[in-house]
Amino acid sequence: MPFRRVAPVQWCVLAMCALSTVQARAEDPKPTPVNTITVQLAEPVKPQTFSRPLKFFLVDVVDRSGNAQPMLVFKPRGGIFLDRTPAEITRAGLETCLKSANMLASDRNSADFLLTVYLFNFGLSDSSGMDFFGKVEFAATLKNPKTAKSQQVTASGTSIAGVAVRKKNIQKNVQEDIERAFADALRNLLRGVKLRDAVVALDLPADTPATPAQAPAAAPATPAAKKPSVTGPKD
Amino acid sequence: MKIIAICTLASALLWTTPAIAKDHEAQFKSVEAKHFPRAEGVELSPAFSDYLYAELRAELTKAKLFGQVIGEDEVVDPEDAPKSLVIVGTITEYKQGSVVKNALIGFGAGMRSLKVDANVSRRSNQQNLTAIHVHVKVSPRWDEKVMAKFAAKNIVKQLKDSLKAEAKTS
Repeated sequence: MPFRRVAPVQWCVLAMCALSTVQARAEDPKPTPVNTITVQLAEPVKPQTFSRPLKFFLVDVVDRSGNAQPMLVFKPRGGIFLDRTPAEITRAGLETCLKSANMLASDRNSADFLLTVYLFNFGLSDSSGMDFFGKVEFAATLKNPKTAKSQQVTASGTSIAGVAVRKKNIQKNVQEDIERAFADALRNLLRGVKLRDAVVALDLPADTPATPAQAPAAAPATPAAKKPSVTGPKD
Repeated sequence: MKIIAICTLASALLWTTPAIAKDHEAQFKSVEAKHFPRAEGVELSPAFSDYLYAELRAELTKAKLFGQVIGEDEVVDPEDAPKSLVIVGTITEYKQGSVVKNALIGFGAGMRSLKVDANVSRRSNQQNLTAIHVHVKVSPRWDEKVMAKFAAKNIVKQLKDSLKAEAKTS
């Protein structure tokens, strides 16, 4: 008699366990070659030209997004993953752009400016539900190694892509969306007025020797940094 | 007879389409949309401004009125400045709406609404080309970002109309 009562309870427990594991599996998508996308620039962004040829060295790209799963860009429908971390993608993209314009220094010593990028957002952001909203946001710290002065330049890129029903199309749209947002952010940095003003404020003439005595001479550049020039580097 | 009529129609379409495209291409080289700040008292999520900016850029690209839709604060060559536009604006009013009012009264009561004022100016001399006023109303059940989509569409439509009118007068 007691056995007859226990059996249904056991069945219920078993069913609940099975259901909970199925739910857990659905919540945590795993990266596979099928749901992994490669984000890269379609073509390198051409940086702006400065009054004299400058070389930049990319010191580091630090992920400050605080995202526990930075490679997971889309959670529903089995998830969509990036093939590399956002920091690696950003480094590769920035280096490609600088290299294409011959503005990438091979090492720290030969660079006019050192760049450290802090990544705040890379991937999709909340949207209206009628489309995908791609957003890439970072801040680049520009440092003149001769004077040790630095300035921060913020950049952001956004993009909108249509939603899709089929998984394959969702993946394609998400990839295009992130690529466009990423290209837009790089463009915002490399062709932006903020970078131009930072360079004008921090740059020393090419013939100035890098001695500590020159440091006070560079000090008047600081107010200019607070009040950016509107007319550009040629003024 | 029918075939000749179809051929004539097709050839007429083929002739007119490139002409329309050429008119749009020639007008302006680039356009820059700025982030729209919120007026005092407008309570919207911080992400809304970013979303409206993205939607506006997407709509401007779709409109194909300009050679290029450039990013905010991007450097423009001085020789391109006379053929470049800047869109600045403000979100002047936002009403959250009421689901209860909307359901009980209807006839537009309790709708979620957004008002945006924008100015389109020439980059070179800051000449104001057109002023745009947009008022969007949606159901209070919908996400606020849907309003951004409609507002962006409206802004671009008004801009398109005013540029067409200006082209006709000139």
